[in-house]
Amino acid sequence: MARYIPPVQSKLGQVIDVIVLVVLSVGALFVPLWLGLAGSAKLPVPVENPTWESLGQNPVMVAQWNKLGFPDAASAHDMITARYDYSFSWISLAVMVIVIVGYFVMMIRFSDIEYREVIAEKFGEK
Amino acid sequence: MAHSDMDVDHTAHGQSMGLLRVLGPAHVWALGVGIVLVGEYMGWNFAVGKGGAYAALIACWFAGVLYSCVAMIDSEVTSTVAAAGGQYTQAKHIIGPLMAFNVGLYLVFAYTMLEAGNAITLGFLVDTVAGMTGHEGGLDQRPFIVLAIMFLAWLNYRGVLATLTFNLVITAIAFVAIITIFLATSPLLGAGEMLHKDLMSGQASLPYGWLGILAAMHFGLWYYLGIEGTTQAAEEVRSPARSLPFGTLAGIMTLLIAATLTWYVCAGLMPWEYLGDGVNGAVAPLFSAAQITGSSALVWLLGIGTLFATLASANGCINDASRAWFSMGRDHYLPAWFGAVHPVYRTPYRAIIFLVPIALIFALGAPLDQVITFSILSGLLGYTFMPINMIMFRKKWPLDTIKRGYEHPLHPLPAISLMALCSVTYFAVFLGYGTQLIAMIGFYIVVSLWFHFWRYRFVKRADQFTMPWPRPRGY
Amino acid sequence: MDTWNYIEYGAWGLSALFGLLIVIDWIKIDTTYSEEMLTSSREGVLEAMTEKHKLEGGDGTF
Repeated sequence: MARYIPPVQSKLGQVIDVIVLVVLSVGALFVPLWLGLAGSAKLPVPVENPTWESLGQNPVMVAQWNKLGFPDAASAHDMITARYDYSFSWISLAVMVIVIVGYFVMMIRFSDIEYREVIAEKFGEK
Repeated sequence: MAHSDMDVDHTAHGQSMGLLRVLGPAHVWALGVGIVLVGEYMGWNFAVGKGGAYAALIACWFAGVLYSCVAMIDSEVTSTVAAAGGQYTQAKHIIGPLMAFNVGLYLVFAYTMLEAGNAITLGFLVDTVAGMTGHEGGLDQRPFIVLAIMFLAWLNYRGVLATLTFNLVITAIAFVAIITIFLATSPLLGAGEMLHKDLMSGQASLPYGWLGILAAMHFGLWYYLGIEGTTQAAEEVRSPARSLPFGTLAGIMTLLIAATLTWYVCAGLMPWEYLGDGVNGAVAPLFSAAQITGSSALVWLLGIGTLFATLASANGCINDASRAWFSMGRDHYLPAWFGAVHPVYRTPYRAIIFLVPIALIFALGAPLDQVITFSILSGLLGYTFMPINMIMFRKKWPLDTIKRGYEHPLHPLPAISLMALCSVTYFAVFLGYGTQLIAMIGFYIVVSLWFHFWRYRFVKRADQFTMPWPRPRGY
Repeated sequence: MDTWNYIEYGAWGLSALFGLLIVIDWIKIDTTYSEEMLTSSREGVLEAMTEKHKLEGGDGTF
């Protein structure tokens, strides 16, 4: 197989490639944040006139809360009642599975095409 | 650029300038454990928040199994593929260029995000100490975040031996601090002030039920994330085939002990709601635990432990991320400019410099749990690659075709269990952080297409395959 | 203004110092050595020298 000679990349091209990568990666983290879509929506479930008992805390727990700087139930209320919402739709789960599996399948197939080329050039055609 | 099409004769060893082989097995241990140990000082406790204290312990052990598989698989492949870039180089030889490009990015992001997380924790710690010593009105954490990153980048720039010797010392101190607080608070030696029974009763036992255990796996990874980074040192270790498996497996054992002790101490002192809230509650749980005991000696020790653990981790992360970035530059997967080695210090200095502002953007601009999730997701994608990698490695080069420094037992059982645990963890991330998961995969899909259809044209084909191996079976 | 405020300024100062040290050395190195020399590292060069695997079927093209 003929040896593949890659084109020479200009300095500007190299800089542009780096910028593209940086923009994409920063975007992947910050776009969900900016859109307010980032998960971890841990919301307090309000309890009227909280007492340690109504928040489900036994005396030992109360003693530890006090040591941590929470003198009464009201001060610890938000932290104690905050809960994740784990309800999910099966459709979104299915979408996630398809996206992940699809990603790996696509990647391995493209890799294999490129890999065969590498092996053919390195070891010669069979 | 004139140099990018330069063709160095592979036999001209004398003229090429490579990294320096100066490290021993203890450095490998320090690199692996150093990166990870901070996971016991911060971050793992989000697992408590996602499922309660019991769930966090179960997640800790399941993740321990996952990482034992990772360590075994990694040890076998890396004792054979001994090159900087670690899993990136493995993927390049075993699966193919696009996979390698993705794996390289997983590594860079997992480590750079972890580095950012470390810097954030360090800033918080300095702030807390300032508050404890009577400083009013809070502290500007930014200079300390920036200083940590700049100092460690400088250290890395100056040479790998000093960097990892520094890591060895501070990691050992941080590890001893965990053992000390365990001994001081357990009934074995100390006062026996552990309150597990009462703190984990009633609603606090499994606040989210069984689903919580699954969900906790998300941050359960954090107890160990980064141990696979030992392979990045492959080009700088004196005898990689022996030191890498030894350092990696010793590292995972250290971490199993440290993780369990940490859980024991923290779950026995703090209500789960506080412990599990790593943003407003226990940002640095071991430090908080020391504060509860009321012993100022322990507060100082664990404060120093937290500080050292964050530094060791950020240090190792800079080391690993820059090796991966450098390797990709060397193969022209990224602009060739990054493939440069410092002629005096023999470090991949341009990669180190480039990653400094990236780490700063994330450390100064994003909340801790988001940064950690970004890091965990990149790590998780990397672990998903490993079983695929292992199965293909054994298939293309069965045991009798090339000599391995270490052969892991029970193949393909570790690969299959690793794959199963990864699937569980994807589901765990999906519970609560589904958007980031999709955003992240979306990112990797886009860059994959970019690589396959654009960037790959600059890569020399056969030159990527550098191992002296025979032709793979079936190709 | 208390000690911690000075420590803050100190941290900014040290950050700048480390940054400066890196950048100065970087410029010095890039202007002293040629690109060919700096990017001459090749993966696996050492392995090729020290490890001898039996090659079966196919031979290297280089």
